[in-house]
Amino acid sequence: MMRVTTMFLIMTRTRSGSFYGRARLLAVAALCFCFLPIFASAADLHPPATVEAGQAFSIPVQGSGEATFYLVGPDHIVKRTVKLGGDLEIQSGEVSSAGRYQAILCDSSCTFASFQVNAAQPAHLSFFLHPSRVPVSTPNSIDATAFVFDRYFNLVLTPAVVDFRITPASGAGFSQRVPTHHGVAWMRTSSTAHEGRVQVTAVVGSVEEARVVQQVAAEACRLNVRAVPSGKMIALETDPVRDCSGNALPDGTVVSFTTIDSAGKSTVDTPIKKGIARTEISVHGRAHVSVACGVIEGNEIAVNGRL
Amino acid sequence: MKWGLALFLTIATLVLVAIAWFQSGGMKQHAMFSATTPEAAVQALMSDIQSHNYQRAFASLDPASDTDLPSFIRDVAGSDGSLRTYASLQSADVSPLHANQDEAVVRVRMNWSSAVGSLDDVRDLRVRREGSVWRVVWPKPAFPAVPPQVVSVNYLRWEVIGRNTSQAWGSQDVDSPKVRITSMNAISRPGRVVILGEVENEDTIPAYLNVNATLLKADGSPIEEEGSFDMISHVLLPKQVSPYRIDFPGIRMEDVKSVRMDARALLVPASADPVIAITDQAVSKDGLNRNVLKGDLINQSGRPVNIAQVLAAYYDDSGKVIWVSDGYVDQALMPQVPVPFAVDIPNDIAQRLKNYRVIVNHYSRTSS
Amino acid sequence: MRDAQERLALPTATSIWQRPIPVAAIILLALAIHGPLLVMELPATTSYDANLHIFFASHYAHHWFNPWNEKWFGGFSQTTYPPLTHQWIALLSNVVGLTEAFMLVQLAAVVLLAVAAYRFAQLWVDDRAASYAGVLAVFAGSIAFLVYSAGQLPTTMSAALFFLSLPYLYWWCRTASWRSLLKGIALSLAAASAHHVTLIFGSVLFALPVLGLAWYDARKSDQSGVSVIGRAVVFAAIAGVGVGVVLLPYWIAIIRHPIEQLPIPHASRSNLLMSWLYGMNYFIVPYGALLLALPFVVIKGASNPRLRILLLAFWVTFLLALGGTTPVPRWIFGRAFEILTYERFTLWATVLALPIVGLLVERAIDRSPRWGAIGFSTAAVASLALALGWLTWSPFRTTSSLNVDSVISFLNRDGHDQYRYLTLGFGNALSKVGTYANANSIDGEYNSARLLPEMTRYGAAQLTSAKYFGTAGMDSLRAMLQHANHYGLKFIFVHDPFYEPLLVFGGWRQVESYESGEITVWSKDDAVPAHAIPSDTIPAPWEGLMWGILPIGSSILAILFVLFLVEPPSILEGIAIPAETPESVYVNEVHL
Repeated sequence: MMRVTTMFLIMTRTRSGSFYGRARLLAVAALCFCFLPIFASAADLHPPATVEAGQAFSIPVQGSGEATFYLVGPDHIVKRTVKLGGDLEIQSGEVSSAGRYQAILCDSSCTFASFQVNAAQPAHLSFFLHPSRVPVSTPNSIDATAFVFDRYFNLVLTPAVVDFRITPASGAGFSQRVPTHHGVAWMRTSSTAHEGRVQVTAVVGSVEEARVVQQVAAEACRLNVRAVPSGKMIALETDPVRDCSGNALPDGTVVSFTTIDSAGKSTVDTPIKKGIARTEISVHGRAHVSVACGVIEGNEIAVNGRL
Repeated sequence: MKWGLALFLTIATLVLVAIAWFQSGGMKQHAMFSATTPEAAVQALMSDIQSHNYQRAFASLDPASDTDLPSFIRDVAGSDGSLRTYASLQSADVSPLHANQDEAVVRVRMNWSSAVGSLDDVRDLRVRREGSVWRVVWPKPAFPAVPPQVVSVNYLRWEVIGRNTSQAWGSQDVDSPKVRITSMNAISRPGRVVILGEVENEDTIPAYLNVNATLLKADGSPIEEEGSFDMISHVLLPKQVSPYRIDFPGIRMEDVKSVRMDARALLVPASADPVIAITDQAVSKDGLNRNVLKGDLINQSGRPVNIAQVLAAYYDDSGKVIWVSDGYVDQALMPQVPVPFAVDIPNDIAQRLKNYRVIVNHYSRTSS
Repeated sequence: MRDAQERLALPTATSIWQRPIPVAAIILLALAIHGPLLVMELPATTSYDANLHIFFASHYAHHWFNPWNEKWFGGFSQTTYPPLTHQWIALLSNVVGLTEAFMLVQLAAVVLLAVAAYRFAQLWVDDRAASYAGVLAVFAGSIAFLVYSAGQLPTTMSAALFFLSLPYLYWWCRTASWRSLLKGIALSLAAASAHHVTLIFGSVLFALPVLGLAWYDARKSDQSGVSVIGRAVVFAAIAGVGVGVVLLPYWIAIIRHPIEQLPIPHASRSNLLMSWLYGMNYFIVPYGALLLALPFVVIKGASNPRLRILLLAFWVTFLLALGGTTPVPRWIFGRAFEILTYERFTLWATVLALPIVGLLVERAIDRSPRWGAIGFSTAAVASLALALGWLTWSPFRTTSSLNVDSVISFLNRDGHDQYRYLTLGFGNALSKVGTYANANSIDGEYNSARLLPEMTRYGAAQLTSAKYFGTAGMDSLRAMLQHANHYGLKFIFVHDPFYEPLLVFGGWRQVESYESGEITVWSKDDAVPAHAIPSDTIPAPWEGLMWGILPIGSSILAILFVLFLVEPPSILEGIAIPAETPESVYVNEVHL
């Protein structure tokens, strides 16, 4: 038996015969296929109308002597010599790809039949979860899309139900069952009010695929600065910086302090460390201090350099 | 004939060489190094600095100069990997301010070619007469000493582990940071159109950012595309806002129907260190009567910053960004040491500006 | 064959010191001296331009009939530079590899130059002095300087071919021998195909003196001076038309796009008195011990009417070689002064002086054979040694020896060649990267081909060496980086940390590091793949065809003519080169 796939044809030149030899084989197969109606007088072929991918089966053939059998699949061609008057065995590996197949049998003349190979049971999931980070309490901000494949990575077109299970870091989880359309199931959900890791798992039968989305604090809320003396300087310090749901903004988030005094304006962009932003600044006389985080402005205070 | 031709060729060669010597400024150079005038003395000093001949330059200074050779070299050639160490003197314009028989003040406008572009440095130098020679009195440079200390630094740092290319299709990756152009303003300046505004990193991770703008005609076809290049802070920490400016030289505002903005952010490793305070900012006039935004930069971290760039956004009374300008600081920012900066403001902008905001970009030699 | 030979015919018992050195010995000497240096591939690591010429040759090796090269400047036409030496390298590279082919062609040029100096000197002095001139050419500092420091293969090859053609011009003018005409024309065309500038200047600096000599000798021999001039006009006309046709694509390119970029500074244009380093580099090192012979050259040249023409040609060339040290080049060339470089004039001045220096050697050996030979041998070797030593001692060392394999490997994998690249601090190693990388660069080493406004408006040369051009260079680099997206410029290779701040502030990120951190790779993440830059300088296909056939054809023709068109002795026997006629005073002085 010789199995020749198109990919194999491209990648190698040595397994059996030259590249040109294989090209000739393909051309003969194509010619046979094109001219079948003319030569269709050999023994009839009666394969099943539909077969599951990877399932071996047999096709009974009448007559005697030897004939050449071609199986033309969506991504490969099989050619072999068979004995007539028995069953023609089709191996599971020869029908692993879903799609339309043509079986051709040639002795003095050719006969053909076609059959459909459908995807097998779901065995793999390709699962996309977007985005990888999302601010808390944002409506319809998480997209989950699952592609259902069988064990040969054929897209399973027959409807299946994907169970999307959402497990937040805190609070109760929930799930959403979504039927596939043309092998794809998708859902959209809102982020919850609490920051942290949210695990989304897509489940089809016994197949599970998990992804994680990080819920992060939203914009700062009620940003508050206070001044405390620090030697000759004044230390400006925020209260713990949180969003409106009470989640702490992550460390590294930049907070801008602005001081206006008699010497002019001073600004410091400082990252939050352990929940608060802090800087030290020298102030000449009375000064107005303001604070901002991104486009969110906080309170303003008046301080005195002699504090 | 023999001697005649030989003599002619020899003399002609010497005359031609002499002519070229005069043309090349040989005489001027001779006079300059003779330092018979205050301007010549300053020119000679600049010439020595230009050729990195610091020893001769120092030797030519007036003994009254309260400086030593290492301080002088540090002053003119820079130190600590500062921008001045990446620069060489390109030209020096000398003009006398006032003079009497024994003393003069000469203004020298130095143009330095540096790694980030040309830098101007204007100094008024005192020149004293010593016999027939004039000598420059070099002011003692003030180098703030940083006391020996250990500065503990524990700012956040973000590292990135990207998706393995061998992983299957559909495996999870980390999204790029989300950035937003919070304002955009197109203005017409002489000989150019300028797009300016601000951009914010809305995400919780640092972003590496490039902002591009495409000017479009009425039919939607592009006129020109340009990027912000160094008129932006490319690394934005979470919630950090940067001004940007994109220049389109040679384009007229009448030809522009619309602008397409493109802010591309990338997830990169970054550090929240160093923090640089910008203190005592004030709009004033410099020695050449130009409008400038002045202030001091203080590196609040423990690691020196070699080169700092000041980016300033100016707002009108409606809060709209009306100009963005920048300036590089030629001194290194040593920890806790204030370093002055000045950024030019065009006259018309200075009249309209109501508020301003300054941020600092930095380059440290050891950073990646 | 010549009465000069008859005059110098020596008795068989003449001492070895008093015999001319055979030309075969001169060739062997050239091979022995320069062969090992070129086998060591010295120019590839020490010279400024060798890698540039290898780069040009590599293009011909892959695209013989398509002179449009997209590897530099977003695309440029190689018809802007005569191709002969590059095409020979390309041909030989199929057998021995590019660098080795360059060395072979360079060796051929050096050998031919020694022979050319000998053949040219034969026009002016006797065979023995001429043979000394040939030997001295092998050791000439200016030749070593141009080969090992400047790497100017086309200049050396062209000078050799042009000086070889001059005796044929002389003989054609004197004898009307069509064989001489054909050989002279073919060699001139080959010389032009190697380096057009040599032919243009050579026509005035070398050919006119030879023509004057032919006219002078004809008058002395009672021949018609008019016929000499007439034949010279015929020679010039045929050569002019020939050069016009052979280099037609070059003329088309240069007329369509005359060089309008801002002048780029070059040290050879400076006043050498104002900087001792420049003086050393462009005067002391190239001339070497020849400087000691200058008084003799002037006095001897002035004393002999035949040599006076040569002396004047030498003097003018000598003045031009001084660059900005005299105002003469500026007066003569005007604006072109800022485009030309002047080190090549030193080579020409050397070859023009060698016949008279040969006389000096002859005289010295006649007076004291042993000490004369030792003295001049020492001086010659010292000149060559100084030029070679200067490769190490000079502060103008190149970066040609930089290992760029990692850069080439990076550019040739993972689709990186979809983008353009730039090198910074690579100096002359830029050409090495260009030769072997599949990707295209926005920069390049060949200044005349630059048409992008970011490069022509600032008066700086290669972006890779931007810092050396001060503000002009850095402004040019800045302008290019600002338009990176327009040109698909994504990758920058840095071999000099000086450039890092500009990249950091300009939006590039370091992504790789090679050679223990010596070379870093920087990337701009929003760059789009490069697309072809439209240009009206792309040569037409017929120009490519001409360019691929005629220049190399002219050299093959010259070889065939020189090998197979042998002058019948009867023609030359009737023509005499007049004997040296020193002025009486000189004779008195000598013999007093």
